[in-house]
Amino acid sequence: MPTVTTRRVAITGMGAVSPFGVGAGALWQGLRQGRCAIGPLRHRDSERLRVKIAAQVPESFDPASGIDERTLPLLDRTSEFALHAAREAIAQCGLDFARDDLGLRTAVVVGTGVGGELTQDEQSRRLYAENSNRTHPFTIVRLMTNASASHISIAHGLRGPAYAVASACASANHAIIQAAQMIRYGLADVAITGGTEACLSYGALRAWESMRVLSDDTCRPFSANRRGLVLGEGAGIFVLESLEHARARGADILAELAGSGMSADASDIVMPSADGAASAMRQALADAGLAPEDVDYVNAHGTGTQANDATETRAIRLAFGAHADRLAVSSTKSMHGHALGASGALELVAAIGALRDGVVPPTANLDQVDPACDLDYVPNVARGMPVRAVLSNSFAFGGLNAVLALKRAP
Amino acid sequence: MTDTIQQQVFEIIAKQAKVDPSTVRPESTLKDLGIASLDAIELIFDIEEHFDIAFPEQQGANFDSDTAQDLVDAVRKGLDGKAAGGAGA
Repeated sequence: MPTVTTRRVAITGMGAVSPFGVGAGALWQGLRQGRCAIGPLRHRDSERLRVKIAAQVPESFDPASGIDERTLPLLDRTSEFALHAAREAIAQCGLDFARDDLGLRTAVVVGTGVGGELTQDEQSRRLYAENSNRTHPFTIVRLMTNASASHISIAHGLRGPAYAVASACASANHAIIQAAQMIRYGLADVAITGGTEACLSYGALRAWESMRVLSDDTCRPFSANRRGLVLGEGAGIFVLESLEHARARGADILAELAGSGMSADASDIVMPSADGAASAMRQALADAGLAPEDVDYVNAHGTGTQANDATETRAIRLAFGAHADRLAVSSTKSMHGHALGASGALELVAAIGALRDGVVPPTANLDQVDPACDLDYVPNVARGMPVRAVLSNSFAFGGLNAVLALKRAP
Repeated sequence: MTDTIQQQVFEIIAKQAKVDPSTVRPESTLKDLGIASLDAIELIFDIEEHFDIAFPEQQGANFDSDTAQDLVDAVRKGLDGKAAGGAGA
């Protein structure tokens, strides 16, 4: 077999739009302070919906801010979030894509669970509820799943491989892994990647209600009194580049994306499997050259459903063995909610913050011990501690698992 | 009427479990009948649709330990609520 040269992957920029507002800094500060951004649902149909709470991007978010006025009408809310987060990440990394044709060697891979759900819902309402014979002519370009990746490419002149990755709640992690592999194997020098989701439409909320997995009070991962997940929305976008590329230009490296693991449960369409999740975590450790003892923090998938949290606990024990009892494990979904295809990206902001600041964000709302969840979940208050390496878990309906392994900037 | 409700519920359960309705006993749990996970959620939906009622939120979405009789009782409660003017969600 021919030898494949691989390159290390550095993260040199991050941006976010989240229930804490615009900015990766706002998100990280909220999480390390243990603030819960879940609140009453703001929705035109809230009167007739059963679901009353969500983790929504605040009303202060101004989609038009800094966006070209001819572009704005083309954007679903998913693309608005992605463009704002990408602009922040790209500004932070300091790259000039026009220089030396860097744009040609830059990829864009963006995860999203459902793409332009609000556009779909709004136009369906016109057709079926208002008996209109026409949809808005931009319906297709707004709702297509790849729209966010395309708009980032257009806005920044990025002409390498660009597309969307979809795996429900693991979309962001799968996208980030895909982007990292492009850099690792030389298909691109830089990649803009992450996840975006804006899925709180009337139709989607009704669909989640029917599935009976939504909590009616708040999100309480790993707590015995947990009552389900709380839907969120937002985007997290990152700049990845080869470590040598980042070093050569003296870039500030936020963290190293050292490895990843992916697996499919190949069992139930919704019930998670500890074996499948553990397999992805083991792969991520091996791929990053990490022993279980090298990891200090696991940012859990931690949805707050009965099934996920107990199964994920078992999976962490399977993957880490005796070291599981010395790990800090937390679910930041307790604060930013479950942004589905953007979740892994919001959680990567938490993982990077933990590595850089030596602070593990807590699991908020954890107030009752569950014997089936017997790890150290850092309840309610952040913990200052040395963090050498982190795993960040995302597990999707459909039994699809994607785990990131991060190390401190080398 | 009472028996009719029980018969209807049992028939819906039997259809989901792919068994003969006569084999469904009041004390049979959904788990006994092999109805778990999403199938249980679909069964609840089918019953709600059939009677045009809404079951209250059951957190944890764990219907596995519910018996056929529990579901009949829930339907009766739902129908009483509807008759009393409490509209379904």
